[in-house]
Amino acid sequence: MVVLNSILVGLTEDEIKEVRKMLGREPNHLELAMIDAEWSEHCSYKSSKPLLKQLPTKGPRVIIGPGYDAGVVDVGDGYVVTLHIESHNHPSAIDPYGGAATGIGGVLRDILCMGTRPIALLDSLRFGNIEESAHSRWLFKHVVRGISDYGNCVGVPTVAGEVEFDNCFERNCLVDVVCLGLGRVENLVLAEAKHPGDAIILVGGSTGRDGIHGVTFASRVLTEKSDKERSAVQIPDPFMKKLIIEATLEAVATGYVRGLKDLGGGGLTCGLSEMADKGGCGIDIELSKVHLREKDLSPTEIMISESQERMLFIIKQGYEKEVCKIFDKYELPYSIIGRVTDSGNLVVKKNGIELANLPVKIVANAPLINRRAVEPDYIKNLKIIEKPTLPSDLSSVLLKLLNCPSIASKSWVYEQYDHEVGIRTVVKPGQGDASVLRLPNGTFLAIKVDGNSKHCYIDPYNGAAGCLSEVCRNLVSVGAEPLAFVDHLQFGDPGNPEVFWTFSESVRGLVDYSKAIGLPCIGGKVSFYNEDKVKNIAIKPSPVVAAIGIIEKQEWITTMNFKRDDDYIVILGETKSEMGGSEYYEYIHGLTGGTVPKIDFVKEKATINVVINAIRKGFVKAVHDISKGGIAVALAEMCISGRIGASINCINIPNNGIRIDEILFSETHSRFILETDSENINKLIELVKNAGITYNIIGKVGGKALRFYNDWELIHIPLLDLEDSYLNSIPKCMGEIL
Amino acid sequence: MALIQNMKTYLVKVIIENKVNARDPEGETILKDLLIKGGYEQVKAVRTAKLLKMWVEAKNEKDAKEIVSKLCDELRIYNPVAHVCSINIEGE
Repeated sequence: MVVLNSILVGLTEDEIKEVRKMLGREPNHLELAMIDAEWSEHCSYKSSKPLLKQLPTKGPRVIIGPGYDAGVVDVGDGYVVTLHIESHNHPSAIDPYGGAATGIGGVLRDILCMGTRPIALLDSLRFGNIEESAHSRWLFKHVVRGISDYGNCVGVPTVAGEVEFDNCFERNCLVDVVCLGLGRVENLVLAEAKHPGDAIILVGGSTGRDGIHGVTFASRVLTEKSDKERSAVQIPDPFMKKLIIEATLEAVATGYVRGLKDLGGGGLTCGLSEMADKGGCGIDIELSKVHLREKDLSPTEIMISESQERMLFIIKQGYEKEVCKIFDKYELPYSIIGRVTDSGNLVVKKNGIELANLPVKIVANAPLINRRAVEPDYIKNLKIIEKPTLPSDLSSVLLKLLNCPSIASKSWVYEQYDHEVGIRTVVKPGQGDASVLRLPNGTFLAIKVDGNSKHCYIDPYNGAAGCLSEVCRNLVSVGAEPLAFVDHLQFGDPGNPEVFWTFSESVRGLVDYSKAIGLPCIGGKVSFYNEDKVKNIAIKPSPVVAAIGIIEKQEWITTMNFKRDDDYIVILGETKSEMGGSEYYEYIHGLTGGTVPKIDFVKEKATINVVINAIRKGFVKAVHDISKGGIAVALAEMCISGRIGASINCINIPNNGIRIDEILFSETHSRFILETDSENINKLIELVKNAGITYNIIGKVGGKALRFYNDWELIHIPLLDLEDSYLNSIPKCMGEIL
Repeated sequence: MALIQNMKTYLVKVIIENKVNARDPEGETILKDLLIKGGYEQVKAVRTAKLLKMWVEAKNEKDAKEIVSKLCDELRIYNPVAHVCSINIEGE
């Protein structure tokens, strides 16, 4: 932080020198504040861009990749879906209700400003230990309430998500929200100012002091003072958002909207400079036209305020009235604040007097920083650890794992959300590995979000690749062919070479996986500075990935619950002793370290293909991927959701000669459990054999208990006990069941 | 043993509202869609708040106010980052 011209800026001394050099003069107070906001890590990606460029971004169905507010994918018959991920970590850490709710508001606008209607939300949440910490319970409760209140009011269903608990998130909870949009290809709008003379219209909420310096706040670590950073708190307004959604889509349908951008981080400065830069034009604006909440707002405050529920429209010259009629109809405040020019400069005037005049090229393109990356010592120390002693009572271990909040049913969370509004949701939360939505052209879209910070902490490369592997397996399990993904990379201070090493390793993991499997990245976000300076804790590296897949026929949709007595249970994939970061090590034994599951990309691709084929040929009745808690937890989940037992012979589980607890609880990737009947078992086996995938029949569905045996009985748990551990864990933590 | 002091019941009012500079969408809607449309253009602003009435047993007013102030902070009845909380005694 530097104090310059009597304002506090996040720019470094070097960056200020660079600004002077590029401008050839001293920037004034307003200009400096604008550059400060736009050059913040949050807006400029100055540390992350050089690495993110390596991600593959092209695919047969990709229409628009990274660089815009949302990625766009072709789903056939002229329909497109848009996908974006946002976080609101810092605001949620100090105001969980408002922070999470405005996070939803932000991601909805990103989808909307592509000209598409938001149709589904997902949330990916990370908190501290809710079993022990009242603060973490407070954050968890109010974040979930914020998401549910906002999503339910605005009428967009929350269809899927994931939650992870770890001590490192005690003060820095992570709140990621994913939004899916649906629209027509001919109605897509880009955030570009391309035609001089076009009008710039600011629509929606008035501009006020809330959220001033939000991006500089987000690009900083949390300190004790954060509780008093009052202006960084924003008030959610879902009803205004609903009006903005309807008015925007109606305006887009007129054909006069030539550019659209939501105002989020960096406010007007960011929105205007990025649109002008992308379109290769300039913009002149008149500040006296901006509708304000408080009359005494200074020009600097107007230019960087991040007040919620605002959109910037670029309207074809001469057609302003037609579009403004629509805003009048919805009683939305708006003001024509300026025009697109051919100057290449962003010019800010107030009552005709020029206050700032900056080339957009400079504002919108912060100099990139090549950060130093050094492998942290802790990584080397965690590689080899002593194995825990084999517990004598494996039944109680499994019950305890099902009770672990990171594994247990998240129904307490998703039952607070309306996940059906819009009547598109076909596979609902808890029914399958991913959620499935009906599209208007008769096809179906699967969507899921995943992360695993415990794996990523010990081995960021394999951990991050593993997140993508898990999300793909989840899509495949419901019968979908993965199409594209977005990522959100959440780390500590990038100026710390050890933190930056974990970031660069995570990106490398995502790059290698996505290239090997052929899954394009269509967008994403980076959130740095997730660090608590008071307690000196950075979060564990937490990349989160959301992916979509397409299911062309309704009969291919597959759920995870066991269906019928006497059906066969088949496992695909070999189980290895890869216990690092597993819930079994972390939650049962309190151990952090060991070998994190590694992906064999060739086997992964072959296994994914064989599962898709088996589903499409109608050979399987239930599919579930194996992830947190291993085989034992995956089978328990299939039993609980099907309300039927299963008996498993562990001798038949393919493995490379490892201990029984490792067979049951290892989180090795590329494994699936399938249910099939006597009519299809031979066809399924032939298909799997021909693909060269390791497999075996490990048992049968049936009974009122889940049993695992080899030469003697290892685990025997009645269904009711499985249900009690799995379903009641989180309500008990939250004090709702005694 | 100390003498049991005479305890009285006090009515303590807790008002929780958004910070002055923060928006209040509910108040704005009441103003715009109810009052102004209903012909009361004299009203220039509306702010909503939540009122909690608590009947508190304490030795005196000061203690009653302290108890409520402490519980509001401790049990997170309001969020100091987002809200302003004012506490008033309305007598016995």
